[in-house]
Amino acid sequence: MSEVQRKASKQLPDAGVWLDQHGDYLFKYASFRLRDPAAAEDAVQETFLAALKAYERFEGRGSERTWLVGILKHKITDHFRRIAREAPMGQEGDEGPEHAEFFTRTDGWDDHWNNEYAPTEWHATPSQLVEQGDFWRVFHDCLSPLPQRTASAFTLREIDGLSSAEICELLGIRLNNLWVMLHRARLHLRNCLQLNWFGQKH
Amino acid sequence: MGWYDKLKHSVRFWLLRRLPPCKETVVVISQSLERPLSMRERVLLKVHLWVCMWCVWYLEHLQVIRRTMRESAAESELDPPSAPGLSPEARERIKQRIVANKQ
Repeated sequence: MSEVQRKASKQLPDAGVWLDQHGDYLFKYASFRLRDPAAAEDAVQETFLAALKAYERFEGRGSERTWLVGILKHKITDHFRRIAREAPMGQEGDEGPEHAEFFTRTDGWDDHWNNEYAPTEWHATPSQLVEQGDFWRVFHDCLSPLPQRTASAFTLREIDGLSSAEICELLGIRLNNLWVMLHRARLHLRNCLQLNWFGQKH
Repeated sequence: MGWYDKLKHSVRFWLLRRLPPCKETVVVISQSLERPLSMRERVLLKVHLWVCMWCVWYLEHLQVIRRTMRESAAESELDPPSAPGLSPEARERIKQRIVANKQ
């Protein structure tokens, strides 16, 4: 049955077909931001259930996919708010590794880059990187060792482009926390990408 | 190396000794992506970047990472980052819940 016919008859979508069409997409979208497969599964389930309830109101303006992603975004936001309430920001260390070794030297130039970790020239443009599917796997693995909240703050800022104020509200942190978290995430990620991606031949 | 290059080299080292070190500069570089810098911060950063190629690359890399992520976010409306999809168990569980809720 085509989507047009289904809507005309106000018939609810078949669960299996619905999951085949959108399940993986929604799950990837959620797990990339939440960085927790169980939480991502919950968010996807809640999205489908909410969509089912509101199906009458979906009048086919835009695609079903876009509509579902819109609902999912709210579920992701709810999840962050819940975490912020249940596990408030703790002490030093929650923000991520400090990587003091990047700036340790023994030649009298302490607090400057250690040659071993110093940035080198990268020969790649953003669009070249996006085209290479492997890049995302490396990227994902590089974010993994970071505390969940730091990785989430980084993704919300750099992928979704949320403002600092929005992220602070969502994650229940102060602006200073956020800046430290973003700085540490960048320090860590840049080094990891250089080691595992830019230092390799492709 | 001619005398001019030697002089330039010495001036750079002399400056690098007197400026905030790389460890403090990378914090400011990260904040420059978050908020407008003060006049003092801007001047110190500019001079540091004049004498330190490492920090120039650091700033460039942060910009590459940001642009890459934003661009791919736009593209991932078509295809989200390659990652595993729903597990068969989760898919089945969600399916059961949808079916139960339809009745």
